[in-house]
Amino acid sequence: MLDRILATLDESEKAAIDEEELAVLKAVADELLSVPQESLQLLPALQMIQTKHGYLPRLALRMVAEHLAVTIGNVYGIATFYNQFRFNPPGRNPIKVCLGTACHVKGGEIILENFERRLGIKENETSEDREYSLERVACIGCCALAPAVVVGEKVEAYVTPSKVEGIITEIEVRKEMAAREQEKNED
Amino acid sequence: MSAEMVTITVDDKEITAPAGSYLLPVCLENDIYIPNLCYVEGMEKPPASCRLCLVEIEGVKGPQVSCRSEIFAGMVVKTNSEEILKLRQIAFRLLVSTNDGSCRTCISNRSCELQQIAKFLKQPLKTKRLRHIDRDYPELIDDHPYLVYEPKKCLLCGRCVHVCSTIEKGYKLSFAKRGMDTIVSFFGSELDPASVDCQDCFACTEVCPVGSLSSKEKWKAFIAGLDKK
Amino acid sequence: MKTEKSPKEHLKAHAESAASVVAALKDSPLPVIYVGAATCGLAAGALETIAGFEEALKDNGIEAEIRKVGCLGHCYAEPLVIIQNPGFPSLLYQKIGAGEAGILVRSFLKDGSDPCYEYLIGALEADENFPTLMDYPRYLYENRVVMEHCGLIDPKEVDHYLAVGGYESLAAGLEKGGAWVLDEVKAANLRGRGGAGFPAGKKWEIARGVEASSKMVICNGDEGDPGAYMDRTLLESNPHQVLEGLALAALAIGADRALLYIRAEYPLAVKIMEAAIIQAEAKNLLGENILGSDFSLAVTVFQGSGAFVCGEETALIESLSGRRGMPKVRPPYPAVSGFAELPTIINNVKTLSTVPSIIKNGAEWFHGIGTAESPGTAIFSVVGEVEYPGLVEVPMGVTLEHLVVDVCGGIKNGKELKAVQIGGPSGGCLPASLMETEIDFDSLKSVGAMMGSGGLVVMNEDTCMVEVARYFTDFTQGESCGKCTFCRIGTRHLREILQSITVGEGEMSDLDDLAEISEAVVAGSLCSLGKTAPNPVITTLRFFRDEYVAHIEEKRCPARMCRTLTAFYIDLEACARGCDACVACCPTEAIFTTSNRKKAIDQEKCVKCGECVYACPPEYDAVRRVSPPELIPDQGVEPLPVKENEEGDA
Repeated sequence: MLDRILATLDESEKAAIDEEELAVLKAVADELLSVPQESLQLLPALQMIQTKHGYLPRLALRMVAEHLAVTIGNVYGIATFYNQFRFNPPGRNPIKVCLGTACHVKGGEIILENFERRLGIKENETSEDREYSLERVACIGCCALAPAVVVGEKVEAYVTPSKVEGIITEIEVRKEMAAREQEKNED
Repeated sequence: MSAEMVTITVDDKEITAPAGSYLLPVCLENDIYIPNLCYVEGMEKPPASCRLCLVEIEGVKGPQVSCRSEIFAGMVVKTNSEEILKLRQIAFRLLVSTNDGSCRTCISNRSCELQQIAKFLKQPLKTKRLRHIDRDYPELIDDHPYLVYEPKKCLLCGRCVHVCSTIEKGYKLSFAKRGMDTIVSFFGSELDPASVDCQDCFACTEVCPVGSLSSKEKWKAFIAGLDKK
Repeated sequence: MKTEKSPKEHLKAHAESAASVVAALKDSPLPVIYVGAATCGLAAGALETIAGFEEALKDNGIEAEIRKVGCLGHCYAEPLVIIQNPGFPSLLYQKIGAGEAGILVRSFLKDGSDPCYEYLIGALEADENFPTLMDYPRYLYENRVVMEHCGLIDPKEVDHYLAVGGYESLAAGLEKGGAWVLDEVKAANLRGRGGAGFPAGKKWEIARGVEASSKMVICNGDEGDPGAYMDRTLLESNPHQVLEGLALAALAIGADRALLYIRAEYPLAVKIMEAAIIQAEAKNLLGENILGSDFSLAVTVFQGSGAFVCGEETALIESLSGRRGMPKVRPPYPAVSGFAELPTIINNVKTLSTVPSIIKNGAEWFHGIGTAESPGTAIFSVVGEVEYPGLVEVPMGVTLEHLVVDVCGGIKNGKELKAVQIGGPSGGCLPASLMETEIDFDSLKSVGAMMGSGGLVVMNEDTCMVEVARYFTDFTQGESCGKCTFCRIGTRHLREILQSITVGEGEMSDLDDLAEISEAVVAGSLCSLGKTAPNPVITTLRFFRDEYVAHIEEKRCPARMCRTLTAFYIDLEACARGCDACVACCPTEAIFTTSNRKKAIDQEKCVKCGECVYACPPEYDAVRRVSPPELIPDQGVEPLPVKENEEGDA
């Protein structure tokens, strides 16, 4: 299915797909095989791709449409309606700042701003090196630990502007150490 | 099975209509005008989204949309109570507050339903009371082979999406995004031009109340005419 | 397969084996460590705690079992740990990190002498040597019906639920029939815990009365209120109670399909429920011919994709059907024509979780709790400026005052209570003067708030009510599906107006516009999201109008929260020479050293994050916050000349 869809693209569109995205698309083609071909599976299919790959590549929407025999318009209409779906690949360290009621009252906005300043990206953006992405989420249900931030899978509680600094430093240190480890192994 | 005919009273006028049918079309047929934008004749279940056709029904709490109120024997309806007029006016003001109000350069000038409703409600087409809300979209989307779409004029009534869904070969128009960002999308155009499967029947442009969705050919001719002036 | 044995007999066999499994754990000769590992516990570091225990056990050569359990609701005390050490009652400890875990292992498990009173909350069972949980107001005033077993049983083991009488109600229902279950729930007047309080029995009766080839029951776990998490806790901590309630509802209306609709943002809840369904099916508590009867029920989990509006019944069904989650006009009601046009009832997690206890103890017992019109208990997530935030289950009809002050320990840091926001984005802000209001569906509605989803945010004098209204309106307008005019555009205008007021650009006529638009949005919107969206605006306008006026006429935020209208400065009298605490914490390097080696804030650079307020050592407490910003006094601040500064640093 993927090859057939790729064949319909013109050269500039093909060029816009990098290797990373192509690998995702290939994986999606395989994963879709396990999804029953009925229109009720539309949301579950999109969720599966979002969960596995962190975003919905453009062509994946077409693959879902074709697989479930619904129109691409239908798929796009659904994918853009719900908060869960992203259309760009997330950073390796996705950061979600909770702005539920309790976090808001306790200064979640300020935490978000601190991340923006520290990372040099705005909310809903991914840093150029794809290391970080930043978004706001409405309540992760850790209200008694406000303000809260989810870094990757881990929830950070009682975040302050100085803790923002600490979180980023920790990631950088880990990255640095992994790089050194790799260097050592290569040597 | 034909429904039983019953008598109802709308603004002191007696009307006979089939029980269980919706109120709005019955009123319209009987020359009682109720403003409406999202209703299309023959719709099985009107979406009741524009909220302009609100009326008061005796014995029913709160204003009701006439497009989805089923007729029953002895129903007493008021289409012009003070509360209803006020709600309608606010709904209208809200709608025009997102509109760019460029009537003079609009393809539907003088045939525009919004203009007619403004006249009926005695409301200006540009509201002074509310600030203008500029929806973050381009003036024109024209990458569809047969259609042009002017999002800033769109009232999101959904008539086009509805009629397109009734056209035989699957539908191609759909809503996308959410809330104030909702947009009628051609798909195809944004995602994949090759998949446009439009039958160029122009049913969607015919039902558009405001000239937000037009035939590309007609629109080009209209603009050329404007430029000459 | 249908069998001769009665459902109760079938269940008895399960219950007996479960009892022995649980007894083996309870009478274990080895210590058992239960760690609260629901989402909130994990956020507080439960995994580090578990790692700490594992390491300490290994180092000290002690054998013990570690079990992850659900949530007790005492979020302020996370990570929570219960230790069952032979010879002692089960003891509940609070704030146990990896370090404390090590101490507990060494002092309590190894030496067996010191139960570490400093971390102890109390004993679960009565005991001479230890305070019990009932010695605490928080436990004493609570009345746990729905949350009874949360945090005490292992949610991943159906046996743990069976051992505390689980599925007995279902067995009884199967023997006496669906009509009997319906009658009990109707007699109990169980009102929908999702917010509106519509009687569950009435909804069920309608669905039962419709002839259809198939019917469906949906458990609504699409908890979208940005401040409530009790549904998640119930799903994560006692999944089988939800399933039993679901099965009873299905039995009552004659449904053959059931579905749990859970937010995708709750991955742990999804995982636990899926595992619970498999376990229940394996024991024939769900699936074909449940407990040997002729009643069958297929249960699946569906993940919601994050749209607040999908909490609305018709929108939820749209989204299940693979469409955009936009509400539809009712009638037809889902109970008559819902999913795939089949009779469908949708009940909240809390509502369904209450059903087994009603069936077990009877409608009369249920009426013994709460008020005449709102029987039973209410679960609130009390957060914000209280001493003991967390999940609280109290009888309906207690006052807000009792809930905030007695149960949750009152306001933190000796500050004044200003308001409680109750019911989330659909609810309202109630002032301190209304704290005697009773908590039940009707009393809250009468003062303009709503039970809503049970979110309750306690606010002190530092919270700006205009900003709170702006926040909720921002939330609902962002979550509006965009279908109907009033909600889509009306809520946007409300937000724009509130936004301009919070930055000091409001006009007095804005207040009339706010009131007029709010009223119209309530009257004209299609669904309950729109109809209730203006509640935060309406209630703050009614109870805190003076704050709006201060923002508009004096450009002043009385709570000093709205950042445009607020500024920070350092009181040179209080600032200590040579102290650098604030300089290091400032994210924008806005703090500089003055010519007399104290500190001052460059207002151009300051982003008003307030971090320096916390960084300033309490013995100096030199950072001041003022509104309007013009109130900053002229202290004749001059920066230390750069050259000298460099020498100073060297």
